[in-house]
Amino acid sequence: MPPKRLLVAPLVILFACKPPTPAEQMDSALSWVATARMAGDAWLRHTTPDKYTREILELCQQTLLQLGTKLLKAPVPGVDTASLDNLLTRSRGHIAQMAALVTAKNSPGFRQQLDSLISDEVLVKQFADSAESKQ
Amino acid sequence: MKKILQLALGIITSVGGFLEIGSVVTAAQAGANYGYKLLWAILLGTICLIFLVEMSGRLSAVSKHTIVDATRERFGFPFFSIVMLGIVAVAFLVLVAELGGIGLSLQILSGIGFRWWAIPVSIAVWLLMWKGTFGLIENGASLLGLVTISFAVAAVKMHPDWGSAAHGLLPTMPGDGKAKYGFMAVSILGASISPYLMYFYSSGAIEDKWDESYIPMNRIIAGFGMTFGGFLSMAVLVAAALALQPRGIDVEKFEQAALLMTPALTHWGFYLFAFSMLFACLGAALEISLAIAYFFAQGLGWSWSEDLDPSRDARFAFAYTIIILLGAIPLLFGIDPIKVTVMSMALTSATLPLAIVPFLFLMNDPIYLGKHRNGWLSNSVVAIVILISFVLAIISIPLEIIGG
Amino acid sequence: MKLVRDVLDKKLTDREHCEMGRVSGLIMHAGERSQPRITHILVGGDALWMRIHPWVAALARRLAKMWGPKRDDPVRIPWSRVETVGKDVRLDVKARETGALDWEIWIAKHVIERIPGGGKEEEE
Repeated sequence: MPPKRLLVAPLVILFACKPPTPAEQMDSALSWVATARMAGDAWLRHTTPDKYTREILELCQQTLLQLGTKLLKAPVPGVDTASLDNLLTRSRGHIAQMAALVTAKNSPGFRQQLDSLISDEVLVKQFADSAESKQ
Repeated sequence: MKKILQLALGIITSVGGFLEIGSVVTAAQAGANYGYKLLWAILLGTICLIFLVEMSGRLSAVSKHTIVDATRERFGFPFFSIVMLGIVAVAFLVLVAELGGIGLSLQILSGIGFRWWAIPVSIAVWLLMWKGTFGLIENGASLLGLVTISFAVAAVKMHPDWGSAAHGLLPTMPGDGKAKYGFMAVSILGASISPYLMYFYSSGAIEDKWDESYIPMNRIIAGFGMTFGGFLSMAVLVAAALALQPRGIDVEKFEQAALLMTPALTHWGFYLFAFSMLFACLGAALEISLAIAYFFAQGLGWSWSEDLDPSRDARFAFAYTIIILLGAIPLLFGIDPIKVTVMSMALTSATLPLAIVPFLFLMNDPIYLGKHRNGWLSNSVVAIVILISFVLAIISIPLEIIGG
Repeated sequence: MKLVRDVLDKKLTDREHCEMGRVSGLIMHAGERSQPRITHILVGGDALWMRIHPWVAALARRLAKMWGPKRDDPVRIPWSRVETVGKDVRLDVKARETGALDWEIWIAKHVIERIPGGGKEEEE
């Protein structure tokens, strides 16, 4: 028993620190764009405080930047890297604007940026589905 | 009358003290990724926990020894030290996760990063142990933890498809991503069946001076308390399945989980989540710190009691002081509490046999339990679930690493 | 009496029911013509760590030299002081006088009492 137990522990640690595959990174990118959208919806309905909304939007932005860099280095099969990079850059721009508009408490402006982000989300989903099918 | 009040309090504190960062994060990730498909893992874990908690209370009430006392005495110091090292190492990781959970809750409320909260949070937890009594800690933290019932309210308000949810109570395999699914099941089992709960409960029975007359009450507390607690875990999973999965959101960071209850509970949802996590993690941090300190104190024969002044059980007080201080260090370095949570839950599952196998031997030993030894049902349920956890762990973890 | 089962690793309490550690080891005397018999109980320290590995005992000794109460000889309690052996081993001694609580007292005085709210370790 003891040797087996000792074997499992390093494996668990290895797994928890294992780098994600390109397909998983695409899913993650979609998840973060969707998060920004859900956070945006929540703020417009006055269900989340300003400080938190700014924080999560900034987190979405940073994470998408890191994911974008990784996806450039390790391209996803079946996905046009340049188009994906443009899309993610555009999404990050919308999210950055949303964060600024939270501070300015500008709801109409925020709504506009959110709508643009929703359109981007559809495209990110298409990329993610394409990556999934090529796996 | 007094016993009825104790019973009610016991059940309430079991419910309030059930959720912590491990059970919330694993349930939220499961719901976000697999919908209702992993409800069976929570069910299985909860059933096993009910038996384990009941056994812990029974051992202490009958033998007037804690699990740790009995383990050292029955198996000797060398074997005991192996068990201690393994259990304490994993419990320490869980403690780091809980302290991180408190910090993250404060972060989303205040905007100040969790790294800045590491020291104040540790000091607060330590102070509660330094000045508080066992009753205050056990009951106070758990009563505050009752705010986690908001997860159940949110889940119900989102009108789940109860039929589909019921299907989730039976194990099914997903189409793809089997290794990740297996790993998630392993993490849920590790989150539900936490050995530190057993050691804490057993020590609590001694602190509260239980005897054989408490056996029926112990059974009811373990049964009802853990059942209602298990429902809360399931509520988190259901809420994530309804709020996050349709939107394609995975719970990689704590901030994402904070959106869980906003669709159902509007402006209350965010604050209820934050305070639920704050109090749940606080209670867990206190329990784990105490459980680790109990391990050292009881195993090595020091005097120990939360009801004594620290100078009257100096080594015990010193132990929990060091443990909490060390627990803050990884957070100061900015280590992500969510990653620590997921890893520690899977590790708990993988090392469960280390805690449970000797415990099962004790529960069948007539010297400690006399006529109150385990029946075939208790032995079977626990043995089967532990075997499942362990086998799942050694299969799914390598597959996840290799397959990807 | 089965020594390992009934005595080793059991909790020790003194005549005032004060907890004073656990039985770490036993010293036995085996004469040429007599049955081996226990002469002393060992508490804590070297006896305990030696049961894991001599290296662990060596490390513990080195750490104890740098920090904690300075004690050269292990805590030995004559077997004649044993009153009863049951769930615990009750001794006819005063815990403080045996040296079994040296570490407890040292940590209480040097660490715990220096922190506000630590209380005072009683002088009996």
